[in-house]
Amino acid sequence: METQYRGAVLGGLICQMFFGLILVAIYRALYAGKPQPIPLSHVTTYVWLQQAFFRMLLASDPELLDKIRTGAIAYDLCRPLHLYGYYYARIMAQKLTGSVLRALPMLVFASLLPEGWGLCLPASVPALLVALLALILGLLCVSALENITMGFTMRTLDPRGMQGMLNLLMVTLSGNLLPLTLFPDSWQRVITLLPYAQLLDAPIRLYTGEYALGKAPEVLLIQLVWTCILILLGCAFWNKNQRKLIIQGG
Amino acid sequence: MNTLRLYGRSMAMLIKSQLQYPVSFLMQTLAQLVMEGGELLAVILLIDRFDHMNQWDPGDLYFFFGLMSVSFYLTEIFGRGVTGNFPSMVRNGQLDTILLRPRGILTQVLCSAVDPRRIACIAVGTVSLVIGSRMSAIAWTPLKALLLAESIFFSFWLILGLFMVEAILCIHSVKSVELANTLTYGGRSACEYPSDIYPRPLRVLFTVVAPFALVMHVPASFILDKPLFDWPLWAAFVTPFAGLALFGVMYVLFRKALRFYRSTGS
Repeated sequence: METQYRGAVLGGLICQMFFGLILVAIYRALYAGKPQPIPLSHVTTYVWLQQAFFRMLLASDPELLDKIRTGAIAYDLCRPLHLYGYYYARIMAQKLTGSVLRALPMLVFASLLPEGWGLCLPASVPALLVALLALILGLLCVSALENITMGFTMRTLDPRGMQGMLNLLMVTLSGNLLPLTLFPDSWQRVITLLPYAQLLDAPIRLYTGEYALGKAPEVLLIQLVWTCILILLGCAFWNKNQRKLIIQGG
Repeated sequence: MNTLRLYGRSMAMLIKSQLQYPVSFLMQTLAQLVMEGGELLAVILLIDRFDHMNQWDPGDLYFFFGLMSVSFYLTEIFGRGVTGNFPSMVRNGQLDTILLRPRGILTQVLCSAVDPRRIACIAVGTVSLVIGSRMSAIAWTPLKALLLAESIFFSFWLILGLFMVEAILCIHSVKSVELANTLTYGGRSACEYPSDIYPRPLRVLFTVVAPFALVMHVPASFILDKPLFDWPLWAAFVTPFAGLALFGVMYVLFRKALRFYRSTGS
C-alpha cells in the first residue's frame, strides 16, 4: 500500500527532512548562546531519530474511524476473530511499514550531514542492539495506546476534540515537539516514567548513551510493564464497548 | 465592493451553521487552545533552559512567536477555502461547479469555508504578544502600533499566497501535495523565531522565496528597537508589501494553472 504512492512518500520525506533541519538550526542557535550539560550532538541525534520514526506516533487508521462513523464496524463484529487483537495487529503493521519505509532514507540523509548537524553514531554496539529492542517494545506500547484512543472514539462518534488533545499529549510527552532531554530536570524524573516516553524517548536515550547500559534492564522492564498494562486496559475497554455498542444505521 | 459583501454574507452564514452544534464546537475550540498552548509551552521551556537566543531576549522571542501565531491563524480562519479545502474540491469535482458560476473563482473558494475554532490559537498568540511586549518593555507609539497592524495585515496575504502554491500544484497533479507544506507549515515553525538565527541558505529562503523575514521580522525588530538590518525606519513600512507581492504572483499563476484544469469527472 505504502509503495503505491511513491511521489507522496517522497514529498513527505523531503518535508520532514526540512523540518528536521529547521529544528537542528534552532537548537544550534540556542546552544551557541548557552551550552548545556547534554552535548549538542545528542540533541541533533534525538531530533533526527524522532523525525525518522515519526510515523510510529501518528494516529494512522482513518479507515477504522470511518467504519465507526458509518456503522460498517458491524461487519467486523460478525467476523470470528478477537476484535481487539485484530485491530492491534493492523495498527502495528501500519506503524511498522510506514516508519521503516521512511526511517531508512531519513537516517541515511541525517548521517550524511556535516558534523554538528546530523546523526551521531550509537554509544556502542550493545547500546545499538538494546536501543533496537527498546524500539520494538516501544512499538508494542504505542499500538496499545492508540487502541485505547480508538476505544474512546467508539463512544463519542465525533472524536476530533478528544483526539486533538490526545495527540498533543503524544507529541509533547514523547519528545517530538521538544526533546525530553531539554525539559526541566525536575520534570524529567516524572515524564520519563510515563508511557509516552517509552515509545521513542527511551530507545533514543539508550542509543545516545544518555542511559548507560547498566540501566538498560530497568528501562526495558518499565516498557514491558507499561505495554502489559495498556494492552490489558485496552482489552477490557473494548470488551466493555462491544457489549454496549450501538451501531449507526444507514 | 460587491465581492466583499458576498464574502461577508458567506462568512456569517458559515459561522452560524458551525454554531449549530455548540458542544462539538466548544470541544474543538478547546482542543485548539490546548494545542497552541502546547506550542507556546515548548517556547517557554526552551527559554527557561537557554535564557536567550543571540541578541534576542525572552520577551523578544515571545513577541515573535505571538506575531506568527496571530497572523498564521488569522489566515487559517478567513482563508480556510484555500488553506484547507481546496485539494478536496479538486478531487471531488466541486471546482467544476465553481467554474460555472459568474463570480471570481478565488472569491468563491474563499467564500466556501471558514474555521472559527482557530480563534483559540489567536488568543494564545495575543497573550504571547502581550507578555513579550511587557517583558521587553516596548515603548508603544502610534507609529509602532501601525507597524504591527501592517505587519499582521500583510502576513495574512503572504501566508495565503504560500498556501496557493499548494492549490496550484494540486490543479496540476490532483493529489494534495505534501511538499508544499515545507513553505507553509515549515515557514510557520521556522519563523516563530527571528530569521537571523538561521544559517545563510535558510535565511535566504525565508527572506527572498517565502519573505517571512521582510513581512514579519523586519517590522517586529523595529518595534523591539533591535533592527534586523541597518535599514532606515521607512524600510520597515515598505518591506511588508512583499507579502502582497507574493500573493499577486501566486494569483496570476493560479489563473494560469486553471487553464490546465481537467475535471476528475466525479
